[in-house]
Amino acid sequence: MEGMSYLTVGYLGMIVGIAIWTWTVFARSKNLEARIYAIETSLGKEDIEADSIALKSAINEEN
Amino acid sequence: MGQRIRASFLGLGFVGIMSTLYLGLLWAPSVANDAFESPAAQRIFYWHVPSAWASFIAFAVLFVGSALWFFKRSPTGWRLHVAGAEAGLATGLMTVWSGTVWGSAEWGTPWDWTDVRLNTFALLTLLALFLVLGRRSQPDGVETRDTFSAFGLFGFALVPFTYVATRFWVIRHPGPVVATGNDGSLQSDMALVLFIGAISFTIFIIGHILTSMHITKLEQRVEMLQSEIDKGG
Repeated sequence: MEGMSYLTVGYLGMIVGIAIWTWTVFARSKNLEARIYAIETSLGKEDIEADSIALKSAINEEN
Repeated sequence: MGQRIRASFLGLGFVGIMSTLYLGLLWAPSVANDAFESPAAQRIFYWHVPSAWASFIAFAVLFVGSALWFFKRSPTGWRLHVAGAEAGLATGLMTVWSGTVWGSAEWGTPWDWTDVRLNTFALLTLLALFLVLGRRSQPDGVETRDTFSAFGLFGFALVPFTYVATRFWVIRHPGPVVATGNDGSLQSDMALVLFIGAISFTIFIIGHILTSMHITKLEQRVEMLQSEIDKGG
């Protein structure tokens, strides 16, 4: 392969990598927001901000 | 942090990354034909070096997050750990990919198992892969987070080692071209494009880290809601 072919393959691979990475992040975010909205609506709950594992760990360390 | 700010970082970083590609391919001067086996393929370094730089930022975030979780039990620390591992994996894979393609063109082989820089960087990327896959396959808990944080803390030792590797052992990977202590070996136009690339990748990775932290927060909220449902609402 010529140098330009290697260059094209290299940059195309990285562009695909950036696209997949960014798309995955946005898709996960949208999916989770939709799940939270559905659960909270069905339960009639307010937003829950806490991290349950951190809370458990803090309680264990206090005891 | 708001969705608009996260999107702004990602958008601005992406525009900068694409501008770097345009400048690197069409504006930056070519290297001397006798300096490289494949002078055209050398232009890969306008993304290769900034993505390696971004991966070091990601691993620093991973280290800080791991320390904050391990010693302070900080929820933000855990989110930083997760975001740092994911960003480290993505940028690490980009660096390894562009490096192996360039190595194929320049050296005639994609990898050299005797080169210290290549192998320590590959280990760093494998560490990020282990942390990302491990977190997804294990149930979330204090012990799991402690284990992964310990790997994040000790794995960071590879970052300075990787950074200085080419100053002590130049085997295949070229030696440093910036921060060399003298005027540097880069032409000013090439250095400018590289600088724009480094800034752009930094902005882009900050956007990704903020977004990843937001996702982890959402995952934690889903877990809280599910445990509420399990308890009977």
